[in-house]
Amino acid sequence: MTSLLHRRLTDEYVNELIESAPCCVAQLTDDHRRSLTARFRAVASPGHRRLDAWSVEQAGQRGRAFRWAPATARRVLGNGALRRVAVQPLTTITGAVRDELADQMLRAASGYARDGSLSYWLASAPHPVIGLVTAEAVNWATQLQEITEGMHANWSVAASDAYYDVASARTTLRGRRDVVIDRDDTRVIVRVRSGSPGKSAGPGLRADLTIDALADHDGLAPARLIGLWPEAGVCLCVDGTMADLRAGARDLVRTAVAQRRQRTPLAA
Amino acid sequence: MTTLLDSSPISVVDALRGDRTKRPLIDTASAAGLRSLLDDGIYEVIGAERLTTPLVLRASTLHQRAATTDIMTSGTGRLRGVLVSQILRLLSVGVSIDHAFDDALCAWRGEVGTNDLLEHLDQLDDDERARLATDLDAHCVTLSRALGEIPARWRPRSAARAIQRLAGGNVVLRDVVDLVIGNTTSDVASIALFDVTTSPLGEGAERTMRYHALVQTLRTSTMPLRSCTFSTATGELWVRDVDYSLLARSVDEVLTCVRDLWSAR
Repeated sequence: MTSLLHRRLTDEYVNELIESAPCCVAQLTDDHRRSLTARFRAVASPGHRRLDAWSVEQAGQRGRAFRWAPATARRVLGNGALRRVAVQPLTTITGAVRDELADQMLRAASGYARDGSLSYWLASAPHPVIGLVTAEAVNWATQLQEITEGMHANWSVAASDAYYDVASARTTLRGRRDVVIDRDDTRVIVRVRSGSPGKSAGPGLRADLTIDALADHDGLAPARLIGLWPEAGVCLCVDGTMADLRAGARDLVRTAVAQRRQRTPLAA
Repeated sequence: MTTLLDSSPISVVDALRGDRTKRPLIDTASAAGLRSLLDDGIYEVIGAERLTTPLVLRASTLHQRAATTDIMTSGTGRLRGVLVSQILRLLSVGVSIDHAFDDALCAWRGEVGTNDLLEHLDQLDDDERARLATDLDAHCVTLSRALGEIPARWRPRSAARAIQRLAGGNVVLRDVVDLVIGNTTSDVASIALFDVTTSPLGEGAERTMRYHALVQTLRTSTMPLRSCTFSTATGELWVRDVDYSLLARSVDEVLTCVRDLWSAR
């Protein structure tokens, strides 16, 4: 039995979900980590494997190859801009996005950007594309700002996504997180997605919950992981219970198995 | 001889701002009632059946309900519409437009990669392409002169998408508003929805304005302040203050559309 909840995306509901998050959370031990490693190692992979909530939701099916575009760049720049606005409240979102863009381009100009990175792409993008990137990032940061303005609890923009490298299994897990709310010894994670949640949104949330717990050095799960879909005006959440963590880990391993099956050539 | 005024007689920014002292208090109570009206109405049409593929409504579905030919729906008309939307996105963040056609096309290619409309564009011969570029220049001048500079404090968001599932997912309302300004967290209504069309304004544009307001209300549970539409073909600007009767009318229009789609299946 999992703890998936569905609510409309309003300030009242978001605050209620944050305040009613459980105080006691599950903790992953070294045994849990070893067990997960053994399962991933049993699923052979020809190269390095990267799994995240999106791959879980897509049942391991490969989509189109990643390419930088205004829509894929907006989250990095938008979150960075909101972080700036949180520190300097007089800055506008548009100004903060421009500062973020300038920082990224400076990184490329000073030779610190590697091929394929956002900085590298931005440095070579034409002027109108930069304009569209700005518009997308402003959209992202503004919607996140509207959400956080309604929060009663202290929040901060996540410094980065959660990453966990599964030892000796050539597997990296990436958990998405946008806003972190610290409450005493626990934390609530907020994740924002575009579009509307599908049938597999719950497994996706549980995957992010599990990865966040694995990435924590003490193995403590977040008290609650809240997924927001502003375009659809809905939010879903799961609690940091052991049942949800187990379900999340199972889905990640299943995704690895599904990916291997898709890549295994069939005998003639 | 044709003479041009230095500035547009219409100021979109003034129209969107309106009289600040007369803004109503924010309405967060009506959305639930409107949703119930829609759910009940859809139930009367479809019943309890669970559709495998939902009925999808867009602003364009309401814009042109009768089966008539519209120049807007031609490939070139759609291209012009998409490119003007790109220009609006660039203007909303203060980007200066040097060559409307080239800049809009470059931005659009950067966004979508490739699609049917771009292929259509690539198949145009030089004359058609030049005509489209000149046409777009004219639309861009009309838009940029009327729009002016949008203050960053107004939190402009361009191409704001919304998806609403109704009646257990049997009906999906999809919408894209060209420009949204204001925020939902203030005590008074301050959200203004701004839509741009490259065709002259007509009855369909009114339905679209109401539809934008309805979907925005359902999505955020907050009633917007006003809904506007601007024609880059004629320079006309229509502004409607949003109230419950306007949204209720849009509910009726959506239900009529659902009935038409259902009977056509």
